[in-house]
Amino acid sequence: MLSIINVSKTYQRGNKEALKNINLDIREGEFTALLGQNGAGKSTLINVLAGNVKKTEGVVKIGGYNLDKNELETKKIIGIVPQDTGYDFVFTIDEALKKQSGYFGIKNNKEYIDELLEALYLTEKRSARLRDLSGGMRRRFLIAKALVHKPKILILDEPTAGVDIEMRHTLYEFLIKLHQSGTTIILTTHYIEEAEKLCNRIVIIDGGRIIADEPKKELMETFSKEVIIEVQFDYELKLADFEFLQEYQPKIEEKTNLKLKVLKKDLSKVLQKLSQKNMEFTNLVVEKPKLEDIYLNIINH
Amino acid sequence: MNKSLIFYNRIGFITLLTREIHRFMKVPVQTVLAPLISNMLYLAIFGGMLQTRQVGIDGVNYLHFLVPGLATMGAIFASFQNPAFSIISQKFQNTIQDLNSYPISNIEKILAFIFGGMFRGVLVGLLTYAATMFFVGYEIEYPLFFLLGLTATSFVFASIGLIAGLVLDNFEKMNFVLAIIITPLTYLGGVFFEVSKLPGLLSSIKYINPIYPLVNITRYAYIGVCEGNIYIHIFITTALVISSFLIAAYIFKKGIGIKTM
Repeated sequence: MLSIINVSKTYQRGNKEALKNINLDIREGEFTALLGQNGAGKSTLINVLAGNVKKTEGVVKIGGYNLDKNELETKKIIGIVPQDTGYDFVFTIDEALKKQSGYFGIKNNKEYIDELLEALYLTEKRSARLRDLSGGMRRRFLIAKALVHKPKILILDEPTAGVDIEMRHTLYEFLIKLHQSGTTIILTTHYIEEAEKLCNRIVIIDGGRIIADEPKKELMETFSKEVIIEVQFDYELKLADFEFLQEYQPKIEEKTNLKLKVLKKDLSKVLQKLSQKNMEFTNLVVEKPKLEDIYLNIINH
Repeated sequence: MNKSLIFYNRIGFITLLTREIHRFMKVPVQTVLAPLISNMLYLAIFGGMLQTRQVGIDGVNYLHFLVPGLATMGAIFASFQNPAFSIISQKFQNTIQDLNSYPISNIEKILAFIFGGMFRGVLVGLLTYAATMFFVGYEIEYPLFFLLGLTATSFVFASIGLIAGLVLDNFEKMNFVLAIIITPLTYLGGVFFEVSKLPGLLSSIKYINPIYPLVNITRYAYIGVCEGNIYIHIFITTALVISSFLIAAYIFKKGIGIKTM
């Protein structure tokens, strides 16, 4: 559905190398999270796909069309929700969506626009000028705008930045439904739990390179070999007393809780060592790592 | 170039064109009425002050001399401002990247911006003429040629406005171009007086002033006479139409102002 082959980008201004030989193949129906720190290259990559940034090297194919040779065909296949909530202050939601349909060569799109407005809870605001909308409404408007031509691929660049929790969950529901209806989605976000909840593939980009690219399940399983255990005691602890567990990176939290990073297979060994030292604990909690822990782990290494 | 890549998306082109027209029609007081009132004030003040002096073409009533100049000046400013303001405000609103996401060919996008500006320029020019009818009468020597003159003027300055919008990044710079370049060229282009009657070097500016042939074409169409040779004015105007369009097309295709290099 989307192939990015050896794509590099060096900005003329400042000679900054933002993308370094990126290779990525997005298959139809995937819901991919593109994660990375600020300045990692996520937005540059999206802007290359959108045609806003001219790549220095490489090939991009969207729906089988080469971006350099059939740029106009590729535009019909993707819908982009930009990071900036810029808007044309002169027009109403209705006018802007009708015009957006027109740009994509669609004359009568009222029915689908109604459907989108309904799904994104914007029907009541359809006659409002864009300048009169709240930040959350503008985000939803941008999603509707990106979808008026029914793109096969929807790319969202931090769509929930600055959106309140309730509205964020409304958007999650909408995106899940959209994905279930067959739309391929690429999402960049700083909310890792968002990627964990919605996506089935995780791509991590750092310093302009892809440093991890795996299905979410496999990525989680790989890192689930290591668990975090919290051993709770009913007395105050000293870190010096746990030198015998040094290999498990002991940490003391809230004075009475000991946290250890342990491979699943070593779990019984740790418990054995504790009992050999006659350390009686009151409770034991085993935590599976969250995507956020995995992300930080990958980024930091 | 493949023909389908030149005219690729007719509905998209029409939508973009109507947006450019819709945008200024939403604020008619600012975009149409204000220049019209300015032109009427020019007519009242300059017409009253200069009517007795020999600043126009000898033997021609000064008000008749002034009307086509004012219509051309209105068309110049209106057609320049439409695409320039549209592009710069999109940069300001961070929506300029939307232009890159439409499946509309570059030529269609360029023509939509130019035709939008041209429409506003011709509208202001014709309304100026219509408003002056009450004071100087409605007769036009060559009506179609008058319309063609306003159209060519508006096309040239809509193209220049598009170039300015792409190259400049804020309204301050756009206003600088208007105030420091276009306004003086307009005044020295023969809107209010015959340029040949200016002293010394000032009268030679007409040879490098693109507004001079444009004003004279419209004036010729309106009163049947103009300063200089009408055929040379037509030739230079044709060259201006072609060259301004080609430069705008080149800059747009390069992605200057709309793509990050």
